[in-house]
Amino acid sequence: MNSDAMTIGDEVRAWLADHWDAESRRAKAGGSLAQWMDRVVEAGWAVPSWPTQWWGRGLDKKSVSTIVNEFRKVGAPGAGQDRTNITANSVMQFGSDTLKRKIIPEFLTGRAHQCLLYSEPGAGSDLAAVRTRADLQGDHYVVTGQKVWTSGAQNADYGLLIARTDWDVPKHEGLSFFIIEMRQPGIEIRPINQITGDSHFNEVFLDGATVPAENRVGDEGQGWKVMQTALAVERLVMGDGAGERRQGSSKNNVVSLIDIAREAGKIDDPVARQDIAQAMAYRQLNALNMLRAKQDMAQGTASPIMSLGKLAMSRILHEDARVMTKLLGAASMLDGAEHERAADINYRTANAYMTSIGGGTDQIQRNIIGERVLGLPRETEADRNLPFRESRAVTG
Amino acid sequence: MTMISPEERAAMREGFGRLLAEKCAEADIRRVMATQSGNDPALWTAMADMGITALMVSDDHGGIGAGMVEIEEIMEEAGAALLAGPLLSSAFVAASLIGLSHDADAKARLLPAIASGEKIATVAFTGDSGSWDVAGVTATAQPQDNQWILNGAASFVLSANLANVLLVFAQTPGGLGCFEVDSAHVQIEPLQSWDPSLRLSKIMFDQTQAVHIAGVDHATFEQTLDVARVALAGEQAGACRRIFDITVDYLKTRVQFGRPIGGFQAIKHIAADLLIEVESATSAARAAARALDTDAPDKDVLINLAAFACADAFSQVAATAIQMHGGIAFTWEHPAHLYLRRARADAQLFGQSDTYRERFVAAMEKAA
Repeated sequence: MNSDAMTIGDEVRAWLADHWDAESRRAKAGGSLAQWMDRVVEAGWAVPSWPTQWWGRGLDKKSVSTIVNEFRKVGAPGAGQDRTNITANSVMQFGSDTLKRKIIPEFLTGRAHQCLLYSEPGAGSDLAAVRTRADLQGDHYVVTGQKVWTSGAQNADYGLLIARTDWDVPKHEGLSFFIIEMRQPGIEIRPINQITGDSHFNEVFLDGATVPAENRVGDEGQGWKVMQTALAVERLVMGDGAGERRQGSSKNNVVSLIDIAREAGKIDDPVARQDIAQAMAYRQLNALNMLRAKQDMAQGTASPIMSLGKLAMSRILHEDARVMTKLLGAASMLDGAEHERAADINYRTANAYMTSIGGGTDQIQRNIIGERVLGLPRETEADRNLPFRESRAVTG
Repeated sequence: MTMISPEERAAMREGFGRLLAEKCAEADIRRVMATQSGNDPALWTAMADMGITALMVSDDHGGIGAGMVEIEEIMEEAGAALLAGPLLSSAFVAASLIGLSHDADAKARLLPAIASGEKIATVAFTGDSGSWDVAGVTATAQPQDNQWILNGAASFVLSANLANVLLVFAQTPGGLGCFEVDSAHVQIEPLQSWDPSLRLSKIMFDQTQAVHIAGVDHATFEQTLDVARVALAGEQAGACRRIFDITVDYLKTRVQFGRPIGGFQAIKHIAADLLIEVESATSAARAAARALDTDAPDKDVLINLAAFACADAFSQVAATAIQMHGGIAFTWEHPAHLYLRRARADAQLFGQSDTYRERFVAAMEKAA
């Protein structure tokens, strides 16, 4: 294929036409998903912006968008992970060449699964206060501590771990970032029962677990910076998800607000209709914002709107639940299989906190928007410059 | 649909923004507000020279033939600068109404002069109720010896004090109609408005001779109001962003308790929430403009969404801006109240948020 004479769009379309059956949404040559992903990685579509010696094609952001869009059109997975794959991006940016060769292919092909070992009981919104320790002993670190709110821990092959390697410097400076194997003695996983009745999350207890020194991502003490990069990728994926979800489920949601009002005999109630309008408007406005952000990004301009998505989403979810509860009225006191509508609304009410607390509370999001988007002065932190050993997180 | 390229659109917007920065600064707004006419003739001429007044008029009548996407963006700039005068009422709303009519004679007679800015027109939509619907039209028109006679009144007419041509909706024996009236032949009573940059009038008709505009009916009434609403949504989005930017600048410089007030979470969190409103207003206004240009299936959803989201956002941001500025914004000299005045006026002009929310739900029900 002569890529000089073709645009990247032509090339990716031709490649997809040769290798992917859009009708059945399967690879033409058959095989497993992992085998399909091997082909995507080999062709350079998985991470097109990366250099050619590292699975990429050295392309610009606009070309990546083109490639992602073409894959999306035919429902093929695997493209554009240079924007979305948290592990691969962190390792690519900060890891040693040995680690890159060892870890990245496993993640680009989806053979390995990760979980995020960030939060701790004493380090939620103040993530730099982590107390899980990693001590270097010869060619490996020994890890001891407790992590919490870890989703997917049972199925994870690796954990992205932030741990303290130095207690004598300020809290942001003594952290290191690791990729730790989850299936080893010294790691115990216990599910957390949530207010919804679900158990999506886990506590992870680390007691003498080990991680090879070569699995450290970035230098010792650089963990905070590496994690910020990983979090930025994650936020992008989540914000994107807020827009994406709308395409599929907003329609359901729109129908259900109107349906619930009909069922409850309140579809003609002018006050109820005002509430319904406002709830539906929040959702639509967020979708329109995300659409605008994507158009900006497709043209290579960074969009600050993207960082609003998560905060907007939590408003949407709480507002939906509030309006649904009002529409249902007294019946919302009931629950269980016989009261399906009430059970659904009660679940939504409790589950909305997943978004407004999880992944950074609404209040932390507002700080981030205020500081990074609007350029307002930073939040003052009493312990920012204290050696961690002397900070309240340790001394209580 | 417009024939203007995105590059031309961006250049036009930038040029207009520069003109307003030069000729429509805060001191200019205050000067114009204090005049009898509420208009700056030199700025009007400059806008006409730039082609801004010709945007809505098709090229076969001496205009540029732009779409709502361009009008909306221009209105964002106008709103940011709190531009006073007849741009919206004449060049956009009146020109749109005549363009939508089937009256070749009226088009040939009026559109070139509106496009060039020589003539100023306005549309009288509603009576004393200010309800911006057909039921609110209380002026009546009767045919009499080959012409039409108007009686009754129209109120809340935008920039009528400046208009040469009044386009008046009236009830006729055969339903809603639209009539051209020479402003010299009627009594125009200026209404004192809380926003001095906005001129509203009541027009009294007493056996007034009028010329019928052919092909304007109930549907045209709604279509013209849709254009007006989307243009206004653009004004609201632009104004809302400007007063927000002014406020954020202040949060960075105003020091209390030994640090800039923008460093306090109580203030920072309000700012973050307002940013969502500002961005949502912009997205909504632009989406509505695009939907109107392309006659999209979800046009009614998006126009009504923009109408209430932009009105509510501007009202909220302008009101909160005063609170965030503190005492300084309670003075006449500070610009914050000028934005609040415009926000409160815009929230009533062409209809109310509650009405749009109701129409939005109805449109969604239809789509569901």
